[in-house]
Amino acid sequence: MSDYSVIGKRVHNIDGTEKVTGSGKYTFDVVLPNMLYGKILRSPHPHAKILKIDTRRAKRLVGVKAVVTGKDTLGRKQGIWRRFPELCDEEILCRAKVRYIGDAVAAVAAIDEDTAEEALDLIDVEYEPLPAVFDPMDAIKEDAPQIHEGVELNININRHIEWGDVDEAFEKCDHIREDKFKCSSQAHVCMETHDAVASFGHNGKLEVWTSSQSSYYIQRLYADMLDMNESDIRVTNRHTGGGFGSKFELDSAQFCAAILSQKLCQPVKIVLTREEEFTATKRRTPMYYFLKLGAKKDGTMLAKEVRVITEGGAYTAMGATALYLTGFFSSFPYKYPNYRYDGYRVYTNTATTSAMRGFGAPQSTFVGESQIDMMAEDLGIDPVEIRRKNGMTPNYEVPGQAFIQSCGLHQCLDKIEEHIEKRGKLPPNHGIGVSAYGFMSGGIFNWFNTPYAFSAAVVRINIDGKVDVYTGTCDMGQGSNTTLAMICAEELGVRLEDVRMFSGDTGICPPDLGAWGSRQTLMGGNAVKMAAAECKQQLIEFTAAKMGVNIVYDLDIKDRWVHLVDRPERGVSYFDIVKEAIRGKDGVAIMGRGHYTPHRKGMISPAYSFGVQAAEVEVDPETGRYKLVNVTTAHESGTVINPVGIEGQLEGAIMMAGGYGFCEDQPMDEGKILNPSIADYKLIRSLDMPETDILEIDTYEPEGPFGAKEAGEGLTNPTAGAIGNAVYKAVGVRIYDLPITPEKVFKALKEKEKQQKKAKK
Amino acid sequence: MINDFEHFTPKTLKEALALLAKYGDDCKVICGGQSLLILMRQGLVSPKYIVDIKGISELSYIKDDKDGVKIGATTTHRAVEKSAVIKKKYPVLAEMETRLASVQTRNWGTIGGNVCHGDPAGDPVPVLIALNATLTVAGARGTRSIPVENFSLDYFEVDLKDGELLAEITIPPPPPRTGAVYTKFNIIESDLATVSVAASVTLGAGDGVCQDVRIALGAVAPTAIRAKKAEKVLKGKKITDALLKEAGEVAATETEPISDIYASEEYRLELVKALVPRMTKEALARAKKA
Amino acid sequence: MKKELKFKVNGQPYEIFVKPKTLLVEVLRDLVGLTGTKRGCSSSSCGACTVMLDGMAVKSCSVLALQANGTEVVTVEGLAKGNELSPLQRAFLDHGSYQCGFCTPGMLMSSTALLTENPRPTKLEIKEGIDGNICRCTGYNAIVRAVTAVVKGEYKEAK
Ligand SMILES: Cc1cc2nc3c(=O)[nH]c(=O)nc-3n(C[C@H](O)[C@H](O)[C@H](O)COP(=O)(O)OP(=O)(O)OC[C@H]3O[C@@H](n4cnc5c(N)ncnc54)[C@H](O)[C@@H]3O)c2cc1C
Ligand code: FES
Ligand code: FES
Repeated sequence: MSDYSVIGKRVHNIDGTEKVTGSGKYTFDVVLPNMLYGKILRSPHPHAKILKIDTRRAKRLVGVKAVVTGKDTLGRKQGIWRRFPELCDEEILCRAKVRYIGDAVAAVAAIDEDTAEEALDLIDVEYEPLPAVFDPMDAIKEDAPQIHEGVELNININRHIEWGDVDEAFEKCDHIREDKFKCSSQAHVCMETHDAVASFGHNGKLEVWTSSQSSYYIQRLYADMLDMNESDIRVTNRHTGGGFGSKFELDSAQFCAAILSQKLCQPVKIVLTREEEFTATKRRTPMYYFLKLGAKKDGTMLAKEVRVITEGGAYTAMGATALYLTGFFSSFPYKYPNYRYDGYRVYTNTATTSAMRGFGAPQSTFVGESQIDMMAEDLGIDPVEIRRKNGMTPNYEVPGQAFIQSCGLHQCLDKIEEHIEKRGKLPPNHGIGVSAYGFMSGGIFNWFNTPYAFSAAVVRINIDGKVDVYTGTCDMGQGSNTTLAMICAEELGVRLEDVRMFSGDTGICPPDLGAWGSRQTLMGGNAVKMAAAECKQQLIEFTAAKMGVNIVYDLDIKDRWVHLVDRPERGVSYFDIVKEAIRGKDGVAIMGRGHYTPHRKGMISPAYSFGVQAAEVEVDPETGRYKLVNVTTAHESGTVINPVGIEGQLEGAIMMAGGYGFCEDQPMDEGKILNPSIADYKLIRSLDMPETDILEIDTYEPEGPFGAKEAGEGLTNPTAGAIGNAVYKAVGVRIYDLPITPEKVFKALKEKEKQQKKAKK
Repeated sequence: MINDFEHFTPKTLKEALALLAKYGDDCKVICGGQSLLILMRQGLVSPKYIVDIKGISELSYIKDDKDGVKIGATTTHRAVEKSAVIKKKYPVLAEMETRLASVQTRNWGTIGGNVCHGDPAGDPVPVLIALNATLTVAGARGTRSIPVENFSLDYFEVDLKDGELLAEITIPPPPPRTGAVYTKFNIIESDLATVSVAASVTLGAGDGVCQDVRIALGAVAPTAIRAKKAEKVLKGKKITDALLKEAGEVAATETEPISDIYASEEYRLELVKALVPRMTKEALARAKKA
Repeated sequence: MKKELKFKVNGQPYEIFVKPKTLLVEVLRDLVGLTGTKRGCSSSSCGACTVMLDGMAVKSCSVLALQANGTEVVTVEGLAKGNELSPLQRAFLDHGSYQCGFCTPGMLMSSTALLTENPRPTKLEIKEGIDGNICRCTGYNAIVRAVTAVVKGEYKEAK
């Protein structure tokens, strides 16, 4: 492990200096000659027919260059689940009907943002409001308004997962619990809002700069919607100011900018306002959860039954994936011999719910980890112990679903137990709650229906020995460019500073599905590693020939030194070899190609990471207010490639997942989000942030590059559950719906007091 | 989008008042703009003329004289927070400022602007009520003074007539054996208050009796309010836990909280009941030490 | 209608005519061309637009440009001296105090202003100093560690 020369080292992100000097260009900063600014008109109604749109007044405003509506589009519908055309249900610019407050109906391009905004007020839209429905429980009723034609009971999609014989197993249980939970919505709140600069040329080609997690998806979806060849569309993602799952579907900024630009053959820039970002982009899926859990007296869990109804919002988006994953991860990280899941995603007249960091697993982990603590208490077993008894182990097969190779869950449990013991007796009203979790390293499913490899990379060595990596992966801030550059440098035997990354530009990079589902390190990493290995092989062959090495020797490259493995002092400089090798190849740069698509790894993911988190809270029983004191996480993600990156992912996840547990929510009134600003949407700030400690566990994942796997999203799973369990430990009340606000804690405390008084009488 | 306006930068109070008199209704005062610009961006306010008083240096000061400490209206929050005089004489005011918004907002926003903004959840007003402060309002026809507790009239509405400006805040010297405290309840530390409580307790010489008490509440009514009935429960008595609890219950009856996305009406009432005794007790402890 | 704004940005004097409603951030980004300063909310809530004005951190989305008349503004582009990064910039690099980097200019300006005013802040004071800045990526603690390292003298000022 320690003979890596790049991997595992504490390094600066390769784009770090750009970020600390402000010189890094984001789409937000892009200005092109002759560029116009666009704004989007959105529906104020949750559900309405569009009777008429009159754009004449807007077009007459001085400075306005174009106004478009759904009529200016091809009238196609798009979605990420391209394999199922009926699930591609979003027009983006609505023609006949709007389905949530924020649905786009028109867009304007003008000489500046103020003019464009003024023009929006001059567009007259005549709506016929329709009855609307907001809660999925109401939307599945017989008499509920129908949101999409022909979709009965508004059920967008349902998913069933089952193994073993659940009903029979429940009969054998000594104890069964049935509990109901509700998981709330959450906004991604990327600091850079969705934005795009689209430039359609007279040559019929479209170039787009956009803040995105998957340039390839955006390119492909553009091609679908505009009826263009993929290759006539170039999507470039520069620095991206955060994604968290919100930026890999074609969004209104991207689409409207392109439609406007197509009309004018002028570049058009659209930056969503923060309010649009909150109301008219996607968000985390709220879920109603019904859980039944059965165990033997000794804590062995025999069966689990899960029913979920999710608030889909207006369109399918990636919500269908969230529905599937929440069902799968409801079994995590335990070995249920019998398991059944039924999930329904229901259309509602609210903003669409889709992917967000953790992708259904933060929800399943909150409810599951709350319930397992309750089960432990019922049975008089320690929370860590019950997890140990049932926790997954290496080489475990989730029946018919997935195969788990590396798994360090038990080591994580040991570490967390030690941490709790070390903490000793807690001060009054403090409590420590535990939550265990697991997550995937990229999905195997291909609902997008790509014909390409899931990840691909090209590595090129230039005459000066410097290495260029071309990959369709996207760095949205998670640091994938650094991680991939480290993998390349390690494989090739050069230094990190020798590697230059070109990523997320469909014009020059091979397609990659992008940065979602925690797939970049494992999938992108394997592709880069393979491409680098191909280059290395060429250099080694050349060196062997040149040095006339005895055939029994192996050669390797390390830290820019091409040498005999068994006699490392015998070698030549990497730089010299590169120069000669290129010359010897008639001046052709050394190139390697790599790709990765998982095979024979079950249906979910090629690898899984695991961890256990302990959150400590301090509750003020008079008000219900509590503080997050400390969050300690024992975590395993295979070989740690970029330790600074992992620490950052973990602490950032705690800010986000802690917020999900503690304060973040999107309350609505008749489909209207009531807190669409950073002032009103409560985010954890530095003063609210708990102390964070990381206990790293060593594991090795055979499927991953150098043994690495996921370390970004999974970390968002445990925190809400850990907080809930901690509050219970501190003051003895259980909160079943997120977020766990002080008011809910206070009310539960009052209720408990009342019950206790009653019991005394 | 902010609508266009004409911008004036008077250098003196007199010039500012003249401009206000001239443009009347179409005109709005801006100081730090930390509150006003948000309203203008949302189109809730769109004045034709703006009189920018941020640069009037004669209104930016903290003076200590025999009537107490005088704070000019354009004094920034940050200047109040850092002032040695304030820290010494009214530590509660400086403490309150450290939790008002963020450093950036405090660096540019002003205490006068805050008071004139009339936000019932604002932090300075409850504290100024507890400290028995008076405001000096300047108009074309001279100045008038008004106790801070009477200044706020309704949500975001204060007792300023057309052409008037807030010029100064005067805080009387604290009586001996006085302790004052402030807390705001919120979910995110630096956020606006869900409920706030300021309390000031003055003890009699030697006898430990509560000679005077002032309790002010924020975010539980259309304006910050003084909980006079609750004060009555305590005034002239030796403060006990039972009396404090009663004061909390009584204070709750003096409020008219609303339900919003941050808290329900009932919860706000419960918070008043919990926090009034707690803060008054802390003020008492400070008074004992003073 | 436009009025003259005379001020200095990163030491360079500028004379620019602006509409009175123009915000400081708009002048910096769109007219001076310094796009390091970001906007995340345009309503004084996120801190991405933080710059230093006469040594103080302010949110440039909530300051009328004309109010900056006669002042000296420093933006993130003004932190490095030539090719030498400032101690805070170097500490941010070492401690992984940025991820997507969109909040980073604002974070750096808040931290720089804090250390200008108070070279030896406590941990709590550091947290207060950056509390007006949202970071959705890092969870803040890495930023606090970087500032702490500078306070401890681990990074020397460039000559
Ligand atoms: C993100 C954020 C968080 C905040 N958090 C808090 C908080 O926690 N607690 C809190 O109390 N406040 C908070 N505020 C409010 C804000 O800090 C104050 O209200 C602000 O400082 C007001 O001062 P200003 O000088 O900026 O006023 P401006 O915005 O310039 O003016 C506010 C109003 O007062 C009027 N006005 C200003 N000065 C005068 C005067 N001298 N005479 C007559 N009228 C005048 C203006 O016409 C306007 O109507 C917050 C604001 C923001 C943006
Ligand atoms: S953009 Fe200025 S604070 Fe958010
Ligand atoms: S680094 Fe992304 S918001 Fe801070």
